[in-house]
Amino acid sequence: MQDRHLRPDEFELLLDGEEGFGVAPLRAHVRSCTSCQAELEEARELMVALDTLPDFAPSAGFSDRVMSQVQVFEPWHAAALTTARQFVPKSRPARVAASFGAAASAGLLTAAATWAVARADIGFLLAQVGLERVRDQVSAAFSDIVTTVLGQPGLDAMRTGTPEMTAVAVGGFVAVVGMGVVGLRALATSTRRAR
Amino acid sequence: MPNPDELAALPDADVVRLAQQGREVAFRELVRRYERPVFSLVFRMVRDRELAEDLSQDSFVKVLNHIDRYSPEFKFSSWLFKIANNVAIDHLRRRRIDTISMHGSPHAATASEIEASTLDLEDDQESALDELESKELGSAIEKAIAKLRPEYRACIMLRHVEGRSYEEIAATLDLPLGTVKTYIHRARHELRKALEPLRE
Repeated sequence: MQDRHLRPDEFELLLDGEEGFGVAPLRAHVRSCTSCQAELEEARELMVALDTLPDFAPSAGFSDRVMSQVQVFEPWHAAALTTARQFVPKSRPARVAASFGAAASAGLLTAAATWAVARADIGFLLAQVGLERVRDQVSAAFSDIVTTVLGQPGLDAMRTGTPEMTAVAVGGFVAVVGMGVVGLRALATSTRRAR
Repeated sequence: MPNPDELAALPDADVVRLAQQGREVAFRELVRRYERPVFSLVFRMVRDRELAEDLSQDSFVKVLNHIDRYSPEFKFSSWLFKIANNVAIDHLRRRRIDTISMHGSPHAATASEIEASTLDLEDDQESALDELESKELGSAIEKAIAKLRPEYRACIMLRHVEGRSYEEIAATLDLPLGTVKTYIHRARHELRKALEPLRE
């Protein structure tokens, strides 16, 4: 037991209900010292008064005013889950039937996918045929354009000539068209100036 | 989807999870749970009912509009109280700047001239304060709390009115644990001193 009165921090230890080392002598002192006892009692009364302070309520409609400024946002995964849940039947037999149907569909899809993988050579053949058809159609469309622009002799020359010759012919065509455009623009400009 | 009665029985973490999924009823439940504690804290900090409502509303809006950023490792209420306390403290700081005190004209030569030209221009809220204190916050202990520093006030409110532990208060107010203990001990000491005359 100690022979002096408690310091404010020692009172706080007792008020907070501390149980650590050094608290026992403080308790022992309080038991024998009427002055410290009275002070501790006074402090306890304050603690009780603080603990029983009331809560205040905001005015009615506070919640609505808050919610009017809150943006309620449903993330995509939650929205997807909600949508999926809408498709789940309410009654148990319907749910069992739907589960059976879903399992059967999944089984069929799996079997189809397995078969397609096992027959990959057929898939390749079909893809090749398709590609050839597309290539033929593109080639025919290109021939039509060349025939329209250069005529049949131009097309024949392109077919019989080397790639270098074809490149020179296409380049020459682009150059002539370009010069034509530039010439027409110059003519239009000079006419506008003359006016 | 739980109805409002079922929601009331759920812990905060579950209600927050539902709010994060965009359930409006969960947002409302969070407001319902904490409107009184948050409003009480802010009201005791700023001591103006209308202003306390505005600041509490701001706190809720800030928290609920960023509910997706809430980390479940912390208590939701600690996060909410932290925001509310910061909003109240920010307001008090701004109001302190707004409070102008003019200590007489610089051209005043005599004491009577200084007194005649002295102006005390304080925030309107200060004049409404006396009226309020005589009503809701009229008890001696509320008046004593009002005279505490805002930091002490927040700690005392969280400790005694909300029943938070020292550790929770430290996390809520972003203060070291030792500082929180010191604030609370000093606040209690100041309150005891302030209430002493009533006991005699």
